[in-house]
Amino acid sequence: MFAHVGRTLLRLIVTGVGIVSVAFFLMRTIPGDPAAYMLGDYATKESISALRAKLGLDQPLWRQYTLFLSNAASGNLGTSVVTGQPALQEVMASIPSSAVLAVSGLLIAILIGLPLGIICAVRQGTWIDVGVMLGALAGISFPVFWMGLAAILIFSYWIPIFPALGSSNAKDMLTQIHHLILPALVLGISIAAYIARLTRSAMLEVLSQDYIRVARAMGVSERRIIFKLALRNAMVPILAVIGVTFAWSFGNAILIEAVFSRPGLGSMLLKAILARDYQLVQAGVLILAFMVVLINASLDLTYTLIDPRLKAA
Amino acid sequence: MKKSSSPNTNLTRRHFLGLMGSTAAASMLPWDPLLAQTASGILRVRFGSDIGNLDPAKIFLIENQTVAGHLYNGLVKYDQKTNNIVPDLASSWEISADGTVYVFKLKSGVTFHKGFGPLTSDDVKFSFERVLDPKGGSAYRGQFAAIKSIETPDPLTLKITTTAPAAGLLHKLTAFNQGWIVSRKAVTEIGDKYSMQPIGTGPFVFDKWTPGNEARVIANKDYFEGAPGVNEVIFRVIKDETAAAIAIENREIDIFFALQQPDMIARMRKTKGVVVTERLANSTINLVLNTTIKPLDDVRVRRAMAHAINRKALIDGYFKGTKNEASTVLTPAFVEYSDDVAKYPYDPAKAKALLKEAGLGSGFKFVITSVGLSPYDKIPVPIAEDLKDIGIDASIQVLERAAYQQARSKGEIQSCITGLVGPPDPDSPLVSLYSTKSFPPGLNTSRYDKVDDLLEKAATTTDAAARKAVYQEILKRTASDQPVIPLYQDRLFLAHTDAVQGLVQNSLFTMQSYGVSLKG
Repeated sequence: MFAHVGRTLLRLIVTGVGIVSVAFFLMRTIPGDPAAYMLGDYATKESISALRAKLGLDQPLWRQYTLFLSNAASGNLGTSVVTGQPALQEVMASIPSSAVLAVSGLLIAILIGLPLGIICAVRQGTWIDVGVMLGALAGISFPVFWMGLAAILIFSYWIPIFPALGSSNAKDMLTQIHHLILPALVLGISIAAYIARLTRSAMLEVLSQDYIRVARAMGVSERRIIFKLALRNAMVPILAVIGVTFAWSFGNAILIEAVFSRPGLGSMLLKAILARDYQLVQAGVLILAFMVVLINASLDLTYTLIDPRLKAA
Repeated sequence: MKKSSSPNTNLTRRHFLGLMGSTAAASMLPWDPLLAQTASGILRVRFGSDIGNLDPAKIFLIENQTVAGHLYNGLVKYDQKTNNIVPDLASSWEISADGTVYVFKLKSGVTFHKGFGPLTSDDVKFSFERVLDPKGGSAYRGQFAAIKSIETPDPLTLKITTTAPAAGLLHKLTAFNQGWIVSRKAVTEIGDKYSMQPIGTGPFVFDKWTPGNEARVIANKDYFEGAPGVNEVIFRVIKDETAAAIAIENREIDIFFALQQPDMIARMRKTKGVVVTERLANSTINLVLNTTIKPLDDVRVRRAMAHAINRKALIDGYFKGTKNEASTVLTPAFVEYSDDVAKYPYDPAKAKALLKEAGLGSGFKFVITSVGLSPYDKIPVPIAEDLKDIGIDASIQVLERAAYQQARSKGEIQSCITGLVGPPDPDSPLVSLYSTKSFPPGLNTSRYDKVDDLLEKAATTTDAAARKAVYQEILKRTASDQPVIPLYQDRLFLAHTDAVQGLVQNSLFTMQSYGVSLKG
């Protein structure tokens, strides 16, 4: 257990430094100057160089890099060039909205994808299987922004039961949920397609194993075979994919946030990249990387709960 | 009869479906934002992008400027309807006979928001001097280049002395960008975070910003010209125009700000209960040619290109008639506008002849560089086609904003598409596009240098009529030389629900909620 936590921490640090270094240099290789962007069309050469000096952009790259790393080590990720607010604070402020979307999307995805996958595996080759898999293929193939626009057109324009805006600052919880439903559904359906396909193939593989045949021969009930013997064994690859899709749903959230005019980590990062807001991009990427590592680490722990054999490893 | 019955059926349908939805979700919510929200005096305005900086010394982008316009005042301001300069924080002003000394009397009893005390001439001095400070990095330092000194003889008197007669100074001091007055105490105490914690004297007080989502301002009940007609304004970020159209149709917003797409304008015009307003902007969109790169240094080539572009087709085709043809970079929204200049009607035969005359009968390679923002990324397409028709091998390079800025300020690109958004100050487009001292350093991308003398003369001519004549001379000369080919005059569109009363659309690309009220 302690070894596991230690390994996770080490992985967190290595991933953090690595990814932030990539973000640091990548941002600086794309053309464009934060000072010029921030000051707009009317900026003079002097005002741009004054701002560059203030932001430390006139320093050589290696100095900026070491300065950034040492500051980051002490928890200081700098301030946003555009807004003057601490970058970390701005990133943290954008997380709840993204997290709510990602978690609710994932929940919907599991609720839809897992049962569909199981049904397809059990009824392999029937019209249900073919139909669901065709649907899943469509779910994977349609880009989420398209699904988002279609959802707005159908459910807030033709049949106006949901608002077109995917977020609300109303204090009242029900209003917020009402605004969340469409974006969460779109995200959920796009992920559900993956989960359904994977659950189906994982289940099929397990169901063809000898011990299932033995269990059947011994007269174990089909329900018990599917849920107790097969599903539990199929869960490890499914969980792995859920972990991956969770990170991936943050990526998809960028598109969904744009379509539904929702705030969040994705739209914040996009805005920061366009404005060459280096500090904000670095802070956002770092936090995102940490979240992915943490999610994967906690998933590792759940594997051992499902499959005791993995404890030893 | 029909008119009054159809919105009713609409509402009933929505209620019915809302009811259906709520039965399913155990009576989830009262889905009627129209009644729920307009009654409490909250005005909801759609923004195309997020705000990020409300410090007048560094502000740009129309969304920031719109919010700032609710928070701040200037010494003087543009009348929203006429663009005439009228008093704002100053009750009166005097200009010395030689045009070098400006004395402003401030209104008494004006106070800053959130308890930052009364406005004094020291705050005005501070506001201007922080723009002038080279270390401050303000984008607008060049606007105040004429100012020599600022004195405060008493708390309500401000004296500005200029280095030479500065005829255009009042334009630079209007309530826009560098002209907005901040509180010395607030800027000093709040420090770096001031950009998102602004303090002004305006009709609205900054309340809360939710990044990527919305900004809220609340009514300043003590405003010196009287309390606003709404209690609160929410500026809501909705990037996509289709989503914004659905939002206004569902009454999730009250004002559709920055309505641009021709299809959306047509759709809004057909929507019941929604009013579309429009105004000619003080802005043109132009094809800027770099006169230092061969063969664009030859005036015949530039004129040939001007003749080759079918502006009418661009306006009628892509913009569906929502723009006006332009022959100069000023529009009738400027007092100094003149139409008495050389014009280049669409004439491919004449264009080909001019090219031949310049020894370029077989054409040349030409790249139009533009920024990846609508409509700048789309208008090069028909232009390139038009240029191909007269034998010019035209191609298009679209860059995203930051990269575009860099390419433009390096000055190595052959051409770019430039639209200038600014106050109705003739210097704003003319100095930027044509002066070698162009304070936006990258904007004179044509590297044109033939009107510096006239711009200087306009700046120092204090007589209004004589000054106007100089500006018309500038328009004539630049039209003849064509370093910049004006493509069209921008027209600004807004849509609002019929609950919105008293909205005056300005020509500045911004929007002002002071004076607006909501019908219950």
